[in-house]
Amino acid sequence: MAVAFPLAGRTRAHPVPLAWRTITANRWRLARSSAGIGFAVLLMLAQLGFENAFFNASLQVLRALDGDIFLQSVHKYQFATQDPLPISLLATARAVPGVASAAPLYADWYDLFWKSPRDGKSYLVRGFAFDPKTPVFTLPDVNAGSAQLQTPGAVLTDRRARRFLGMDQDARQSEINGVKVEIVGQFALGPDFVSDGTVMMSPATFASLMHGAAGNPPGIALGVIKLASGADPNTVLKALRKALPTDIAVMTKDRLIAFERAFQADVSSAGPIFAIGTIVGFVVGMLISYQITFTEVSDQLPQYATLKAIGYPTGYLMRVVLEQAALNAAAGWIPAWLLSLGLYRLIGYIALLPMRMSPGITFISLGLTLGMCLLSAVIAVGRVIRADPAAVF
Amino acid sequence: MGAMIAEPSAPAAAPVAAATTEPVVTVDGLNHFYGEGAARNQVLFDNRIEVPPGDLVVMTGPSGAGKTTLLTLIGALRSVQQGRIEVLGRDLSRLSPHGLVEIRREIGFVFQMHNLFDALSAYENVKMAMQLGHQRPDQMRRRGSEILERLGLGHRIDYKPRHLSGGERQRVAIARALVNGPRLVLADEPTAALDRDSTRKVIDLFKAMTIEHDAAIIMVTHDYRIIESADRLVHMVDGRIVSDVVLHDAMRICEFLRAIDLFRTLTPTQLTDVAEKMKKRQYAAGETIIREGEPGEEFFLISDGEVDVVRADHEVARLGRGDFFGEVALISGEPRNATVLATEPLDAFVLGKTDFQSAIETSAPFRDQLYRVYFSRH
Repeated sequence: MAVAFPLAGRTRAHPVPLAWRTITANRWRLARSSAGIGFAVLLMLAQLGFENAFFNASLQVLRALDGDIFLQSVHKYQFATQDPLPISLLATARAVPGVASAAPLYADWYDLFWKSPRDGKSYLVRGFAFDPKTPVFTLPDVNAGSAQLQTPGAVLTDRRARRFLGMDQDARQSEINGVKVEIVGQFALGPDFVSDGTVMMSPATFASLMHGAAGNPPGIALGVIKLASGADPNTVLKALRKALPTDIAVMTKDRLIAFERAFQADVSSAGPIFAIGTIVGFVVGMLISYQITFTEVSDQLPQYATLKAIGYPTGYLMRVVLEQAALNAAAGWIPAWLLSLGLYRLIGYIALLPMRMSPGITFISLGLTLGMCLLSAVIAVGRVIRADPAAVF
Repeated sequence: MGAMIAEPSAPAAAPVAAATTEPVVTVDGLNHFYGEGAARNQVLFDNRIEVPPGDLVVMTGPSGAGKTTLLTLIGALRSVQQGRIEVLGRDLSRLSPHGLVEIRREIGFVFQMHNLFDALSAYENVKMAMQLGHQRPDQMRRRGSEILERLGLGHRIDYKPRHLSGGERQRVAIARALVNGPRLVLADEPTAALDRDSTRKVIDLFKAMTIEHDAAIIMVTHDYRIIESADRLVHMVDGRIVSDVVLHDAMRICEFLRAIDLFRTLTPTQLTDVAEKMKKRQYAAGETIIREGEPGEEFFLISDGEVDVVRADHEVARLGRGDFFGEVALISGEPRNATVLATEPLDAFVLGKTDFQSAIETSAPFRDQLYRVYFSRH
């Protein structure tokens, strides 16, 4: 007949929602705690958003590639390094059964200086070159403008490039490495953390800009392979590896993206920087949330002691405090999440970063918020555990 | 064990047959200490007390006498150090911490501080206690309203504490303590914050608990209005129970008379004689107690409440607790020279004409004092 827990059995129907009542009784206090915790959540969301944007910015060129299998030098530790391959590899690749096409992508990050129509100064930009007859990007604007790239000296520019490059202006002409170029169209890609802007051109134009009028391209940055319909990617992958020298990395698109992401997360300092930023937000949130929970608990200590005196077990009181912390977490997280949507737009607009809310960020931030509130409540709940029921008499 | 299962029906409504006269509380050889080592300080010395069901025990004594400590020990809020306490048939010193929590659910606690949750309504505060009892959830609202109504809070059921007066809050706390129909109630100055009217309601409810539900109540109080209704008076000084007396009506009247100037000169025997002849009588507000011009038959002593003395339609005096009236006609033999009306519910002790006159004759100082008052009023 012993009632193990006060809310067990029949009385479970509608117990007094003590935590909910306590949180909602004082609207002013709720607003304050929501603002305090929300501030910390916003810090974390900003960091998570930056991290996401950072990866997305680096990866969006790779995502925009139109191919199934890619070839690049095995010595590359990230895409944006110069380690050209001889173009003859593509002929070898084309001979492998199941390969429908093998197109070259030329790329350069460190040699092309673009004269900004905005201020007339020269800035380093990223350049891609491909055969206009075999486009290698899925970007519609690029493919639409590719025919016009046949003309020597014709380039496409990135209208989402950083504004100081002046690519968003109506100029029809500019210079790269002191050579006049014709701007024949635009596309939307955006900068990443290596490059401020991008120009695209034919291999001939690329070679002339790099090495003077008669130069040949130095070699390809990436071989873009498309499979014949019905061909099994794994079989072709294996066949390509066998056919090509061992210093050529043969990768699917997923693998290529994973390779780049692994570099950004583990090798570059970006991953730890954002992680530390998120941890700072978490710690700030814990301090704020501890202060809130501690005050709530202290104010109600005589009431909690009274509940103990009339027969509530300590476990019930701990649960009430943890529930309050969880409700505070929700009250802080919801407005902060909504606010972050606006913040992301603002940062995306100002910094030209692909700041986007994702299910990942949503769940991680919610988890972190709950974690910091519950953790601080666990520390604050000690006062409730030690509350002496005999002291209320 | 059967007697320990709380009645599932509304406990205060149905009188419980006195199935057992086993004491609800037995305290034996109880010592208690605060502090440790050199700072160890004994606060209770060899206390023993037994409280049967249905008893309203009032504990008095100066502050620091150990009343509250004794109460918290009986309430299983502290662990027993030396001696034995049995509550509702269970030896507290043998119970685990969990067992102590369990037994506390069967005790009604009224604390000096009401400690209500500001965020919860009066009803919800009471419901917090009901959740620990055996009340069916669908009966809780009815039961909670019923007890709040009985305490004069029917119109305040869904109010939050900050919209209640101090007395109302205290009554909510009393409702919380009594709602599960506990067989033992422990109270510490429960009426300190209450006005006369609420105090009466609270005492009525406490009394009803002892009579209808056979509950034992142990209460620390200095409120004479409760002492008058007590069955036992336990007096503590310096950690010791120095007196433990069972009160019957006469003794209760005696306690009251002793505090009044007029009777101070009587010896204890004479006082007891008078008290034994006095009868307690209640009047409703507005009721006429004596009427001008009628013959005088009785002497009145106000125990609680107020009266107006009216002569020829003019109020000549207002009398309250400890005041007396009606002696003039008994002394002079003339008809009543004034009308006396109760202005509020009145408790009075009444002494008949013959008993009054014999009381005057047994004590010269008493007679002198009475005559002095008589002439000053005449």
